[in-house]
Amino acid sequence: MDDVIEVHQLTKKFGDFTAVDHIDFTVRRGEIFGFVGPNGAGKSTTIKMLTTMLHPTSGSARICGYDVAKESDEVRRHIGIVFQDRSSDDYLTGRQNLDFHARMYGMSKSDREEKMEEVLDLLELKGKENIRLRILPEGVRRRFEVARGFMTRPDVVFLDEPTIGFDIKARMDLWNQIKTAREKEGVTVSLTTHFIEEANYLCDRVAIIDKARIVALDTPRNLKEAVGTDLISVQIAEGGERRAAFIEKVKELDWVKRVEEYSNSILLNAESGEGRVADLIDFADAHGFVITSIDEHEPSLEDVFLHFTGRTIREAEGEGTGMRPGRIVGEM
Amino acid sequence: METKTVKQKPLFEGEPIYSMWLRELLRFIAMPSRILATFASPFTWLVLLGVPLSQVFPTGDIQSMFGGLTFFAFIVPGVLSMGLLFGGTNSGVTVLWDKEFGFLKEVMVAPVRRTSLMIGRSLGALTIALIQAVVTIAVALVLGIWLGFRIISIAGFILAVCFMIITFFAFVGFGLTLGAMIEETEGFMTIIRMIEFPMFFLSGALLPLNMIEGIPVLYQLQFINPLTYGVDGIRGFLTGANFLPLWLDITVIVAFALLFLFLGAYKFSRMEVD
Ligand SMILES: Nc1ncnc2c1ncn2[C@@H]1O[C@H](COP(=O)(O)OP(=O)(O)O)[C@@H](O)[C@H]1O
Ligand SMILES: [Mg+2]
Repeated sequence: MDDVIEVHQLTKKFGDFTAVDHIDFTVRRGEIFGFVGPNGAGKSTTIKMLTTMLHPTSGSARICGYDVAKESDEVRRHIGIVFQDRSSDDYLTGRQNLDFHARMYGMSKSDREEKMEEVLDLLELKGKENIRLRILPEGVRRRFEVARGFMTRPDVVFLDEPTIGFDIKARMDLWNQIKTAREKEGVTVSLTTHFIEEANYLCDRVAIIDKARIVALDTPRNLKEAVGTDLISVQIAEGGERRAAFIEKVKELDWVKRVEEYSNSILLNAESGEGRVADLIDFADAHGFVITSIDEHEPSLEDVFLHFTGRTIREAEGEGTGMRPGRIVGEM
Repeated sequence: METKTVKQKPLFEGEPIYSMWLRELLRFIAMPSRILATFASPFTWLVLLGVPLSQVFPTGDIQSMFGGLTFFAFIVPGVLSMGLLFGGTNSGVTVLWDKEFGFLKEVMVAPVRRTSLMIGRSLGALTIALIQAVVTIAVALVLGIWLGFRIISIAGFILAVCFMIITFFAFVGFGLTLGAMIEETEGFMTIIRMIEFPMFFLSGALLPLNMIEGIPVLYQLQFINPLTYGVDGIRGFLTGANFLPLWLDITVIVAFALLFLFLGAYKFSRMEVD
């Protein structure tokens, strides 16, 4: 059985509101699978259904062959969970929390001790295990929760926004720790994130989720290829008809494969080649358009999101504010 | 195709119950203010209330009012019952705390019966309450040398402890039910105190039940207060000076315990984790 997670038409409604809408996917053994999407997309709700915390409204999901609704205890025995929000006892030390967890899952004393050393090592927590969590920094506490997720030798570990609130260094560390854990333990990892870079760096395959639905699912590389080979985003001074005219005009350029129009930028999908930016500026000049900003880059998962949903992930997060922060080149 | 083995959860889950019990004690040890409060409270009530008021109610004829006990001996069971009321209710209610701080999720997704979680948790709180009770009785026995408190028999003491355990669980169930019903941590403790204190004052813990016979409503309220039967039972077993028949005390407390433990367990089992 190579598909450890099998999801079929999974749906969750809260009253009239559909938080997860008929999603399908499978995750193979040993994979790191990521859910990427803006806040409110339905990532946590999906994870909660897969970890038996919420009952699906309809559809089904199986973890290691066990149905999440009908065989929830069996599912629980096979998974480790790192919740989005805090879930440890702050008054206890990291070791006490881990030990408590292992006992709840019926691990023997020698087994607990052996595994404890292993996860402490894995998440670089040695030396901190006897300190009460409440006096440790947030990032360290979080790492104890991740460690706990691996404690009972689960087949699948679910991590809901594992690096939320981390600085860049801590984030990179945790990513590497998760990768090492996957290699050493051979476990399947399923995580959610709204950091595009996290999915890009960590995941073998990514499901892009927006407004309760999966809009695309593939390896990060294939997803990026689907967008195009080279991207140029342009803003021009005028709007309205002039903007429409500009869009019509650029389509005449033979290296422009596709033009996508967004709230205040125009995205050109270009055949790779030298001097595209210069060409475009000359071209605009020749036809009397004023380019106010231009930037060329290879597609990122950010562009993938834009491509499939028509919004940037940040636009989707700040839905309703109408603000579109400028693209920052090279931002993580 | 792999064959699936569906393991049944055992009826008695020793390890999870022990883990929950251990966690309660570790938490207790981790909070010095709680340790202090647990040990200081018997002293506060017995020394600061019991000793001075003993002077107001001198020994002699007036003792018949307290069922033949000195005032000091009279309030010892009252102080014990207060520990059970507060300790038990709190233990039930603090499930809400776990929910607020996210820990409930951690235990609720473990492949363990919810009743085991509840039992382990309550046993932890019971252990602490019993330690407090033992300290209270020890302090009372020492002061009792001068103020006239003693335990009628070893059997009485053992029966009193058993009765205290049932009373404790009755209030665990009560707190659990309240906690599950209110489901709102904001100002929650205030509401609990507003329920606990009237229960304590109208239970015959500090004054004989019939002393307020002339005050309508308040007098009757005492008899619908389950703590009244708890106090009377403990007093009966420890000192032999019960006002109500012991069978009635036992029946009411057992019924109250069963009712609320059942209700609380039901509410807890249906509680949404998220
Ligand atoms: N218990 C709930 N009751 C009602 N609505 C909910 C509940 N949980 C989540 N939602 C809504 O469902 C949507 C998806 O939430 P969630 O899965 O937490 O998103 P994400 O994890 O992707 O940020 C949000 O709009 C959220 O407000
Ligand atoms: Mg979420």
